[in-house]
Amino acid sequence: MEVGSTSPSRWSALSLPRVLLGLLRAQEMSVLLALLLVSAGIALVTPYFLTTDNLMGVFRSFSLTAIMSVGMVMVIVTGGIDLSVGSVMGLSGLVTALAFQNGFPTVVCVSFGLGVGFVFGLTNGLLVTAGRLPPFIATLGTLSIGRGLMYIVTRGVPVTPDTPEVFNAIGQGYVGLVPAPVIIMLVLATAFSVIMRFTTFGRHVYATGGNEQAAWLSGVNTSRVKLVVYTLAGAISAIAGIVAFSRYLSAEPASGFGIELDVIAAAVIGGASLSGGVGSVQGAILGAALTGIIANGVVLMNINTYAQQTITGGVILIAVSIDVWRHGRKER
Amino acid sequence: MKKLLSLFQASLMALPLSLAVQMNATAKDLKDIKIAVIPKVAVPFFDDCNNGAKAEADKLGVQYQWVVPQNTQGSTQVRILEDLISKKVDGIAISVNEPKSVEAAIKKAMASGIKVLTFDSDSPNSGRSMYIGTINSAAGETMGESMAKAIGGEGEVAIITGQLGAVNLNERIDGIKKSLAKYPKIKIVATEGTEDDLAKAVSVTETIFRGNPALKGIFGVSQVGGPAVSKVMATKEFGAKKGAVKVFAFDDLPDTIKGVKEGYIQGIMVQRPVTMGKLSVEHLVDQITGKEKSPKNVDTGVNVVNSQNLDSYTK
Repeated sequence: MEVGSTSPSRWSALSLPRVLLGLLRAQEMSVLLALLLVSAGIALVTPYFLTTDNLMGVFRSFSLTAIMSVGMVMVIVTGGIDLSVGSVMGLSGLVTALAFQNGFPTVVCVSFGLGVGFVFGLTNGLLVTAGRLPPFIATLGTLSIGRGLMYIVTRGVPVTPDTPEVFNAIGQGYVGLVPAPVIIMLVLATAFSVIMRFTTFGRHVYATGGNEQAAWLSGVNTSRVKLVVYTLAGAISAIAGIVAFSRYLSAEPASGFGIELDVIAAAVIGGASLSGGVGSVQGAILGAALTGIIANGVVLMNINTYAQQTITGGVILIAVSIDVWRHGRKER
Repeated sequence: MKKLLSLFQASLMALPLSLAVQMNATAKDLKDIKIAVIPKVAVPFFDDCNNGAKAEADKLGVQYQWVVPQNTQGSTQVRILEDLISKKVDGIAISVNEPKSVEAAIKKAMASGIKVLTFDSDSPNSGRSMYIGTINSAAGETMGESMAKAIGGEGEVAIITGQLGAVNLNERIDGIKKSLAKYPKIKIVATEGTEDDLAKAVSVTETIFRGNPALKGIFGVSQVGGPAVSKVMATKEFGAKKGAVKVFAFDDLPDTIKGVKEGYIQGIMVQRPVTMGKLSVEHLVDQITGKEKSPKNVDTGVNVVNSQNLDSYTK
């Protein structure tokens, strides 16, 4: 992948395809390569993989993880972690559902859902910055609080209100052949990969994670950067929660349970470093796509269900190792 | 009026009891008998158990206590059991979270003269007097038979389960396989886990449909199966599968009931939690009064609920 080693200055002639290619730097290219190899493998075995319906279905399936990985990768780049995303996703969907149950109009219901994500994200940010708690502990706490609230409210019973068609379109609709959740994923991914690469804020995020003290000394308000990043992660998880509820029209008490691991994995498979400073939004999306396609493939190929997890883990390890060996990259 | 009735019932009950007291020196007066019932955790299923157990306790005139564990850890139920042993209750019915961890506590209770039985979820090596609940393999067989009939004894079917390690779900799957063994033309093409997560279940269902175009039936052996399959069939892409693919599911969640009403699901296996609660109290009291000498496990069975009996089935 020679593209990867090209320095950014060579891309000064900004034509659109060049920008797009430039967005896929070395680390993302390896994931993309793994993705294509895995896809080719599955396509050879089963004729049902390379159909428009299946591919769109796969995109829609991993879109929730991918959407959340956009927020997660920013947090990880600052050197932090957000374990609460699954709970925030579930709770936002639940609050949206409860608002519908109480007869509020769609705009209000969605705002309530987003509000939950905003408040949880802001809380995480404050705990990490003002509270000086390690991100792992802070967000582990909000993970439990969020999930606990869901059980208190639902007592284990899913909330299934009647919802207007306008709202249902968020999770179930299509634009042409493309499912709406995939559009939402693409919009968020594009917006935030541009923000991360081409804005001052984006550079500050990388600087904060690369060397916090140096960033602070050179005038970056690292606390504010972290606060914003955690709040964004919360709000983006809320978007995922609202999309999920709109898709299934049932706010399950276990919705989003354990998904934080998939989300973190997506970001890291896509090249993010848990020690901060390294990672990209487009890499995280590709990471989510890789796991999503493997999950689809093992079912399509009717692989024994008990073997699926082991195979998934193996394929991911191989895919990522190839990249590490090729580049002699730092440990993630 | 109700009070009068129950008084009347109580006096009726007391009649044979006074006879029993004469026959059995250790037997107690009904109103002095203390029964405690322990569910796994606070979910609607156990509310039904509580209602059944409480009604039976009121009917018999025994003291009744419903003790809900705060979490699903085995140690929590062990602590509750030990508390109840010190409180010297006469009988305990428990739905076990962790079969192994409660064994010692149940043995201790039995040794100190407390009658213990398990309901809904068993701990077979604990020395408990009996188990009352759904025999899951039998429920699976009922499910398999219903499917075989619905698809005319031939075709491809798939199984959607919850946690791969869940004992009760695996027993249901074993039951399905056992019953389908009688139909060599029925082939199970896929068995997929979903971790009981609706989102995963929906995506697995879609993929099963795409990978097996000739599919004729789906078993939803855990509670997410019914809602997931009906949601998938409600989409434009898989709309044609409605009715063409026969679906049998477990547990009467609102979305599963809706699936039956709207014709996506042909039948639900519904357990009988109210009956489990009622029988638990009844058998404990019989054991305490000495009326039941050699208790045997009771299968409370499942109702096969379909569009015909949707409004009239009892739990």
